Amino acid sequence: MKNACLIFKKEIKEIIKNKNIWLPILIITLIFSISLPLGFILGSSPILEDEDTLNFINKVFGQVDEPLRVLIGFILKQLLIFLLFMPAMVPSLIAPASIIMEKENNTLEPLLATPLKTSELLLGKSLTALIPTFVISTINFIILIIVVDISAYIKLGYMPLPNAEWVIVAFLLSPILSFIITMASVIVSSKSTDIRSAQGVGAVIILPIYLIIGLQLAGLFLLNITYLLIGSLALLIVCPFVLRLAVKIFDRENILTRWKMKA
Amino acid sequence: MITVENLTRKFKDITAVENISFDIDESEIFGFLGPNGAGKTTTIRMLSTLISPDSGKITINGKDTRSHGEYIREITGLLTESPGMYEKISAYDNLKYYSSFYNIPDDRRNKNIEKYLKMFDLWERKDDLAGTYSKGMKQKLALSRALIHEPKILLLDEPTAGLDPESAHMVRNFIDSLKKEKTTVFLCTHNLEEASSLSDRVCIIKKKIIRIATLLELQNGDRGKRVEIVFRDDADKYTKLIKETSHIKNIQTDKNKAMLVIENPEISNPIILKKLVDSGAKIIYFNQIKASLEEIYLDLIRDEKGK
Repeated sequence: MKNACLIFKKEIKEIIKNKNIWLPILIITLIFSISLPLGFILGSSPILEDEDTLNFINKVFGQVDEPLRVLIGFILKQLLIFLLFMPAMVPSLIAPASIIMEKENNTLEPLLATPLKTSELLLGKSLTALIPTFVISTINFIILIIVVDISAYIKLGYMPLPNAEWVIVAFLLSPILSFIITMASVIVSSKSTDIRSAQGVGAVIILPIYLIIGLQLAGLFLLNITYLLIGSLALLIVCPFVLRLAVKIFDRENILTRWKMKA
Repeated sequence: MITVENLTRKFKDITAVENISFDIDESEIFGFLGPNGAGKTTTIRMLSTLISPDSGKITINGKDTRSHGEYIREITGLLTESPGMYEKISAYDNLKYYSSFYNIPDDRRNKNIEKYLKMFDLWERKDDLAGTYSKGMKQKLALSRALIHEPKILLLDEPTAGLDPESAHMVRNFIDSLKKEKTTVFLCTHNLEEASSLSDRVCIIKKKIIRIATLLELQNGDRGKRVEIVFRDDADKYTKLIKETSHIKNIQTDKNKAMLVIENPEISNPIILKKLVDSGAKIIYFNQIKASLEEIYLDLIRDEKGK
């Protein structure tokens, strides 16, 4: 564990210096955790003047007394999905950068020649992706809650968050998702010598998240606690498989003889 | 210190090394020579437990590499073919990071970092990013990294590659001095002069071992010894006379110079010399030449190709 922590500490220092990693995170936070929720909630009244919006609310929720409250509740279901952006994006930025930089600098062989175990190397690299993801996602969660509560209070005089759905997404679904994406990024990075292509993992895995937003907007599906728990369980089942594959790929011999390295 | 028995390693259908065996004693410098693709890097990787052999056995300090990888990595230092440094952190931090994986106390680690950075003239630039270092400086930094935990065994893959002559000389002197500290050195090199000046024994490999011997044994081998004769006049005038002497394997002339390959110089040299003097030849000098490692190496590799 000590060796994994040494790797983690060194990697974090490098990440802090790497604006290609933290700049997209900052931009996403500004857009999805501040600008969009503010815009959606504060701008919800004019939307209700649109007949199509009212028809949509009636179709999805039936006849309601307070359409604005229902609309904001619906917006919150979309914003809930935004909570998954960080767990999907951050590890897919960090893990490939960390592994492919080792390949670019030819530092893996001397590192593997030390008494370090490959399991410690994998753990160190995984923690480098997972811990910042958890911290950033939690900060993002807090920012989003503050922004939503303040704007909802201004609009409706009540603070809807946090609720059970949001807590499940932030502290159950997000960590599971970030673990899977970290392992997937590790696997893809072993076969890639290009950071950008390896970072595409996050973009691929994020597609189903867009699909959920699309289905919700089409009125075909609405996230609730049951769906979230089922989703978390399904992803949890995937975890041991990706972990096993990553461990297999992170074998000393595999790294030196089968990984694709820079020429 | 190191025992290699019947080692074979293949990569898919390609055999990298086949059935190689050798022993290396404590504090011996063992030169490992071979052309590109001969299996040098594969062997050094197996010795450093980075990859496993398909068959055969390596024992280092009495322990099998298959079951004691961590112990072996703790007592060996590896200089890889490519220096490989974290470019965005300082030279000092690079050494600190790598050395932190070895079981050495902090004060000794810090002392060693300072010792080797000073020894290789890098101390003044210890806080500079490794990425700003020249190729030669990186190589010296990589050598420092291999030494930082004071290994009993040093595995060196081309230690002077990319170094300027002065630095290369300094590194060679340093490798030579390791003998006093009882460090065993496995030296992979293309530089035959380096191998001949440093190695106690050399191993010539081309997938299989071609020869293991000391330089003297190689020079005294069955390849014949060479004698160079420089005349005041044209050497061709004397070739017939020289050829009449027994034990002459070959004779080549170039202007006033004759190069002889003699099987038994102890017997033949006095006879040739007497015949030449008696015939009135004006000899500027008569010199027995020992074959260089390069010549022996090239001959052995050529012979191997011809098989």
